[in-house]
Amino acid sequence: MSPASSRHSPARLDRILTPVHRWIWRDPDRRVQKLLRFSETETDGGRDLLRAAELTSDPLLRRLYLVHATDEQRHGMLFRRRAAAMLSARPPRETVPLAELPPPSGHGLDDLEVDQETDSTMLAFLHVAEKSAASRFTVYRDVLRSDPATQGVFDDILRDEMFHMNYTLTQLVRVSPERHRRRLWKARLTRLWKTYLRLASALAGAIGAVLLTIYYFVVLPPFAWLAKRASTREDGGWTPVSPDRNNSLRRQY
Amino acid sequence: MKILGISAHYHDAAAAMVVDGVPVCAVQEERLSRRKNDAAFPMAAIEWCLDHAGIEPDALDAVVFYERPMLKFERILTCALRAFPRSWRMFPKAMKNTLGEKVWVRGIISSHLGVPGRKVLFTEHHQSHAAAAFLTAPTRNAAILTTDGVGEWATLSVGHGQRRADGTSITLLREIRFPHSLGMLYSTFTAYLGFKVNEDEYKVMGLAGYGQPSMIDKVRKVIRRRPDGSFALDLDYFDFHTTAARSYSQRFIDLFGLPRSPYDPIDLTTTEGQRFADIAASVQRVLEDTLVEIARNLQRETGLPDLCVGGGVALNGVANARILAESGFERLFVPPAPGDAGCALGAALYADRIHFGNEDREVPDHPFWGPSVSGTELARVAAEDGQLVDELDEQTLIERTADDLMTGRIVGWMEGALEFGPRALGHRSILAAPHDAAMRDRINREIKYREKFRPFAPVVPIEAADRYFEMPSGGARLARFMSGVFPVRPEWREKLAAITHVDGTARVQALDRDMTPRLYSLLEEYGRRSGIPVLLNTSLNLAGEPIVNRTVEGYSTFLRCGIDVLVGDRTRVHKRGSLLTKRKEEVA
Repeated sequence: MSPASSRHSPARLDRILTPVHRWIWRDPDRRVQKLLRFSETETDGGRDLLRAAELTSDPLLRRLYLVHATDEQRHGMLFRRRAAAMLSARPPRETVPLAELPPPSGHGLDDLEVDQETDSTMLAFLHVAEKSAASRFTVYRDVLRSDPATQGVFDDILRDEMFHMNYTLTQLVRVSPERHRRRLWKARLTRLWKTYLRLASALAGAIGAVLLTIYYFVVLPPFAWLAKRASTREDGGWTPVSPDRNNSLRRQY
Repeated sequence: MKILGISAHYHDAAAAMVVDGVPVCAVQEERLSRRKNDAAFPMAAIEWCLDHAGIEPDALDAVVFYERPMLKFERILTCALRAFPRSWRMFPKAMKNTLGEKVWVRGIISSHLGVPGRKVLFTEHHQSHAAAAFLTAPTRNAAILTTDGVGEWATLSVGHGQRRADGTSITLLREIRFPHSLGMLYSTFTAYLGFKVNEDEYKVMGLAGYGQPSMIDKVRKVIRRRPDGSFALDLDYFDFHTTAARSYSQRFIDLFGLPRSPYDPIDLTTTEGQRFADIAASVQRVLEDTLVEIARNLQRETGLPDLCVGGGVALNGVANARILAESGFERLFVPPAPGDAGCALGAALYADRIHFGNEDREVPDHPFWGPSVSGTELARVAAEDGQLVDELDEQTLIERTADDLMTGRIVGWMEGALEFGPRALGHRSILAAPHDAAMRDRINREIKYREKFRPFAPVVPIEAADRYFEMPSGGARLARFMSGVFPVRPEWREKLAAITHVDGTARVQALDRDMTPRLYSLLEEYGRRSGIPVLLNTSLNLAGEPIVNRTVEGYSTFLRCGIDVLVGDRTRVHKRGSLLTKRKEEVA
């Protein structure tokens, strides 16, 4: 496939947000974090596609999903390798604290309940997701002119994204010739709704964390003092198990 | 009596069904959801168990959860209070995490299954481990040792069990409590060495083979022996009890040096790589010494010849082999699922035998409790993709597969019901000739995509095990479920290079014909051709994925890696060019 085929016009919103993306990608630590998160997302996406391949009864879709899954897993690896290269290029003390990084492959947000989807809804979701990713990755590639190695990773991935966008649309039209447009609109609205749910959930989580932190500092100190005092009396080592401790299986404590 | 056992919420969620005192099925949630180490409430596993057993939820006599959630919550809250104010970041996360779902287990089970709350029972975490180890073992009277990261409070328990005509008993005598934990010690080193906690501990064991235990003194600073034969962690070296973000403290780093980045490969030819291997060897040795000492004291105290070991630490085959060799116990029983997944079965059996006081029943001595594969389905999907498909009779299948293995082909092998537990014990395996180190490297490179330092396991007929491996008395039993690591006899190491670890050992599976007759026949047939009835046996999955369950999962694994031949029941598929090497447009 020629490099020209990796060209894709970003969506208007992504174009407007280009200065923000430029600012985000300028910082090497943030760049590493972003690459690792992309790695996680792509790996998880690969897992979902693999599941879709194993569930579909359509042989052609099974083959395409498997190819797509392998691409996603390769993308995850490309992102991770690039992040690892950036991490190892700096002195150890200056690396991003390891605990703050996501694990090498992981369990990100699962937007998709693959088991619940039909072939047509799956294809519509994939097409919309791939198109959105291609738009965003195009912007990232463009703002990374100062980092050709990372830019190269996006360039490589964008070639696959074009294939993914094309085959998902072609197959959607094949499996759902009458209703493919409706499926695409439904997929867009579903993505929007899930984005809202994620934001709402994150906001609720943040409010909960603030309230619990206030509670922690206001209410807990006397109990903490008691707990610490009790712990000094604990000897450690063997603790006998009382024979009647487990008399009842009805208790939760 | 119909009892459903459930484990969930931390790692390895699972469900198991016991009917009239005998297990009828058990499966880990990850095998159905395809998310490795899936900890979610195991709804798919429960549904499959109910369906497989043909039982409606309202016909269940009890649903048993494998631990006491409120007691666990007490431990989490107490630890947060003791670490005040350092625990301020951890506290909101822990509370949201626990109060969000994990303490409401009775309500969750009731609402999901529609069973009344009075039918929902709770065992203690280490009781479940003890029951899973003792009640599934072919022994009537045994000492019990359970050890893992942490349950509610206990991290290690010792006791004994007895199965008599008039009733069964499991008595836990004493325990070591959180935060003093051998599992947490090992997991802390797992994190320090750049591996995933609760998942990659076996990599530390593999890496240990490449190192020298030259840092035992340092490890002994972080875990100290106590006069009563127990141990205590020096908590200044750890952070796991105060934060979820990191297991070890700055003082730990000052003692052992900088941790390994999970994103850097381990290069054992460098000083740094060797340092990591030495650290792994040191913590492994200290773990073994500690367990041997505890087991030896337990043997002296109980005077019993048999020991049942449960809990995640029981997956450490090197430590198990040393316990067998040095503790004074004659036989060691480790169940095929000693970790939390096995607790689902343990909890159900505990409720049946001890809570309800039902008569003791022999539990079938095998790990195959999961869903089955279908050769017909494999033939259909492979034919749709234009692969070469043969449906063969039993003898021809065995002979053709032995021929495949002789010619250096790698075989994906699926038969019957899925294994319960983390090991592939012959029903979902990748098999290969064990003679050449190049085969090990090929499987690592083309199939498992994993670190070079990790060894592969052999499978051998139980009668021939002692010829190739130095099996101590009781070793064959420990090797039944691949739970022990034993030396390969020096004269065979060269001819078994693909399964001989760098330290001359192997995690042997000694196969009993009654347990897996078809694989046993294959070993015999392969032995007739090669002169050595030993095969390399590794789990049928790719890196980061659970072991395959259904036929189609085996088939997709076959397509995505360098496996040459896939066998499912009596169907044999020979790969005709990889789908993944075709140009994408050709596929479309």
